[in-house]
Amino acid sequence: MLGEPSRMQASINITPLVDVVLVLLIIFMVMAPQMSKGPDVILPNTSKPIEQGDERGQILVSIDEAGGLWIDEKPFNPEYFADGLRAAVGDKTDPKIVIRADARLNFQAVRQIMLAIENTGFRGVGLIAKRFGAQGE
Amino acid sequence: MQINRGGSNLQSEINITPLVDVVLVLLIIFMVVVPLMLRGYDVDIARTSTDTVASQSEEAQVVLGIEPAGCKLLAPPEGEGLPRDCSVTLADQKVPVAELPKHVAEILGGRPTEYRVLFLDVDDRVNYEGVLRILDLAKAGVPDLKIEFLTTQ
Repeated sequence: MLGEPSRMQASINITPLVDVVLVLLIIFMVMAPQMSKGPDVILPNTSKPIEQGDERGQILVSIDEAGGLWIDEKPFNPEYFADGLRAAVGDKTDPKIVIRADARLNFQAVRQIMLAIENTGFRGVGLIAKRFGAQGE
Repeated sequence: MQINRGGSNLQSEINITPLVDVVLVLLIIFMVVVPLMLRGYDVDIARTSTDTVASQSEEAQVVLGIEPAGCKLLAPPEGEGLPRDCSVTLADQKVPVAELPKHVAEILGGRPTEYRVLFLDVDDRVNYEGVLRILDLAKAGVPDLKIEFLTTQ
């Protein structure tokens, strides 16, 4: 009987592994919409916003409902905004600045920040929106 | 051929290896996609001098004007669209927003890519979400449209 060893149970029990992975998956699915940096902002809804590329190369400027300014996770006084922006850019060669502004603001608030960014010496910004029906914020 | 004799050799367990594969791949997809989820619009502020865009002749510049008088957008628009009676000014002509993609495509669609520039002249009182929805409509007509905001210091 050469087939004798085939009755040995040599397989690893992977059920606990599956459990852990499934739980991790669920945690990620739940956390994904809440992982954005900065203040709570209701993003404007539009039908076809374009992907803004990799978040890791970006400087995120947020404007909350009250008009408060944030760079990444830190609130900034408008007077120090330009300095904060330069510090955030550091020595990045081609920084991409994105503005995450609250949908309830009027255009003036956003325009002033765009001007401040341009006056600091950067060209072009991305205005963040979310697709209708998309998850998050 | 000894099939099922005694029944103890029956493989009654479900093969979960493919399930594990699928779940692991899903997990990896989520981990990779989470940091890349921002979407939006690339815009710029129009400059007066030494700018390739601003150097086009003035007649060639197409300006889209958004005023609260034509479009009551002082608060975020309700639902998914824009107010039905909303109209904007495109190249000095009043255009209902529903027809905006068509008109933008007519005026700018035929130009070479580097001249497909739409200048936006937006009243400060207009709601930001409304501005983005109108911008979205303009882009629906010409996908690679460049947007420049006109502004005064």
